[in-house]
Amino acid sequence: MSGIRETSWRIFASELNSASYEIKAEEEMKPSYQVSRLGAMINRVLIAGVLTEKENIGSDEEPMWRGRIMDPTGGMFFINVGRYQPEAAATMADIDIPCNVAVIGRVKSYTNEEDRTWISVRPDKVVQIDEVTLNEWLLDTAASTWKRLVEMKKAAYIEDKSVDGLISAGLGHLTAKGVSIALEQYGMPESATYFKSIQTALRALLPDKNVDFGLPEDLADAPEEIELEPRSGNTPAAAGGSSEDKEEIILQLLEELDTEGKGAPRDELEDQAASKGISAMELEEISNSLMDKGLVYEPNLRYLKRI
Amino acid sequence: MTDPSNMNFEPLVKELYAALDGKVSEETLQKELVKYLVTYKTGETIAKDSILKRYSGSRPSGTYVSGASVTKKIGELEGTELSVTVIGKMVFVDKSVKNIKGVEKTLISGILADDTGSASFTIWDGNGEYQKGAVYTFKNAYTKKWNDKIQINIGNRGKVEPNDEVVFDSVASSSSASFSTGGSATDVLIKDITEQSRSVNITGVLSGVSSRVIVVKGEEKTIYGGIIADHTGKIQFTDWNNHDLRDGETVVVKNAYIRAWKGIPQVNIGDNSTVTIAETKLNSVSTGPSSRTVEEVMKAGGGGLDLAITGVIVDVKNGSGLIKRCPQCNRSVLGEECSAHGRIEPVMDLRLKLTVDDGTGAISAIINRNDTELLTDITLDEAIELAREKGDMRHVTDRMTSTLILKKITVYGNIMSDDFGPQMSVRKTEVVSTDLTAEAGKLYDEVEESLS
Repeated sequence: MSGIRETSWRIFASELNSASYEIKAEEEMKPSYQVSRLGAMINRVLIAGVLTEKENIGSDEEPMWRGRIMDPTGGMFFINVGRYQPEAAATMADIDIPCNVAVIGRVKSYTNEEDRTWISVRPDKVVQIDEVTLNEWLLDTAASTWKRLVEMKKAAYIEDKSVDGLISAGLGHLTAKGVSIALEQYGMPESATYFKSIQTALRALLPDKNVDFGLPEDLADAPEEIELEPRSGNTPAAAGGSSEDKEEIILQLLEELDTEGKGAPRDELEDQAASKGISAMELEEISNSLMDKGLVYEPNLRYLKRI
Repeated sequence: MTDPSNMNFEPLVKELYAALDGKVSEETLQKELVKYLVTYKTGETIAKDSILKRYSGSRPSGTYVSGASVTKKIGELEGTELSVTVIGKMVFVDKSVKNIKGVEKTLISGILADDTGSASFTIWDGNGEYQKGAVYTFKNAYTKKWNDKIQINIGNRGKVEPNDEVVFDSVASSSSASFSTGGSATDVLIKDITEQSRSVNITGVLSGVSSRVIVVKGEEKTIYGGIIADHTGKIQFTDWNNHDLRDGETVVVKNAYIRAWKGIPQVNIGDNSTVTIAETKLNSVSTGPSSRTVEEVMKAGGGGLDLAITGVIVDVKNGSGLIKRCPQCNRSVLGEECSAHGRIEPVMDLRLKLTVDDGTGAISAIINRNDTELLTDITLDEAIELAREKGDMRHVTDRMTSTLILKKITVYGNIMSDDFGPQMSVRKTEVVSTDLTAEAGKLYDEVEESLS
């Protein structure tokens, strides 16, 4: 069922940026998910806020845009637009900052040597929006966060926190799966963090009401600021990148190395891939996966060619 | 998952060997399987698909050559079998005529059960006659998985034979398939009916009751169908025996069974079902469309009748904007050539294929010209003019896309599901303007109440 479109989660930066646990795809072509502390299994998101920074860390010919979007409830979203998102790249080139934007895209995670995970969004679309649309997003996201908090609270009182246990206690199938994994990976969430995001959103939406949930005021505004540096200049994402990133790199290499039209020689491909941080072993896996997808083939054993 | 290095490859090798008509040696297949499953851990489906593609040039299509075929219990089926023998009791069987790629085709479908489980089946050659309740051997069947449910298929090379030797006293009544073996039925609200529902009792009001004549075992039979509604939604029903049902009546249907078509659950009033007139009339039945979240639709099976979904447009897909249609068959065409009618003078039209996402899931929504004009504020004439000016129809799509993305809309219509997910042919579209203050106030009250 690869055709089914994944849900675009409405999620605040505080919840998204701490969704460090990844459910890796079990099979090729199947989606992977970042699991949030409230149990959202996230492949795609719909986020919004103020685009505060944009920077082309690629070249004019091959732009690689990085941007930061300030979540009105606190925290930052990080976006990375590569050459495989031409529509979003065109918007990034033209857009004047700062401005209100919404982003629809896939979530990518990146883990460094110290086992710290950062989350960024790879946008399919970056859209400039007005205040009303931003407020609609705030409301939808606050409601959606609240719904997850409620389910999490329900789960807290259920003894058997396995997926089946949660389902038989009345949680929906997908919710049960996400909540069960979140509890196992992170334990009970700090609900104050999410109440605070909802409170900030409601304060913006209801300026005339004195919205106050009585939360401790010294609560940190946002999770620790995150610096998301690319590993090296032009590589979309090297060793830590997801398999999709690596496939993109390999496809690109195949094109570059195919000088005589009979494909890219294996040994050269291996050298080039190694220089991008992809081992021979990984290369083998990637080319198999690309063959499965029907994107490349082997004209003979020593060559690999893009279709 | 089982550790692949301890796996017994023999059944898989035999299956592939049979599927490839013995053209590839078992030794080679064994080696390939080890490569895929042990070295690269691709999982069984990909391994089989890839190996078949490599050696036969085609992916599994259900036309495998018979050969040594494995026998399995229904509970053991994985949905990836290419050639398998299954023995089971037909607890339900039905002949239907489907329009497949413009050709009318008769096929037989139903539910097969043994003591380990049950699964739906389709016999793609609809010529045979089968007896409900009898035991059959399905030879060289192939299986598929859809929505986590196994389907048994008999293609060109498969065969179904009566089996008098095996007797099933009690077939599995709980399992993926939706049928009743006479167990106790549960009272349900219509919105809670899913394609997994088994035996159900429903109270609701009838409408649109009509009859049609079908051919069963060479004999004509009149069946009745219509809509039954309660206050939570409406659902189609088929009355297989004439219960003299009439529009406007409130009835209590007991022991009906549910089958789904393209994800839309439907109520069947069969041999074991009873229908009585309810003592009190239901007043507040749902007459208009029923609001659902995408999550709820997916839970029901991926489809439903007369639904309303409110969400945000997150994508405008290819095939949206200004399109050309064949004047005879209304198919959309790319140039001036219709695949069915040859050279034609195409008619211009507007259409949108949107992805609408409500935060719980996403559906495809196909929107007609009238609503496209309404949503984009571009009329067909303006679109034609714009395309001529810019010399490119694509320009219309781009302009429409920029006005549509992130717009919040409600779409009304029936939802069906196939391999590409849930899809609605939209009957009516509305742009939603949210009363932000009111909605935010509601949320505030709700959160505060939980804290106090």
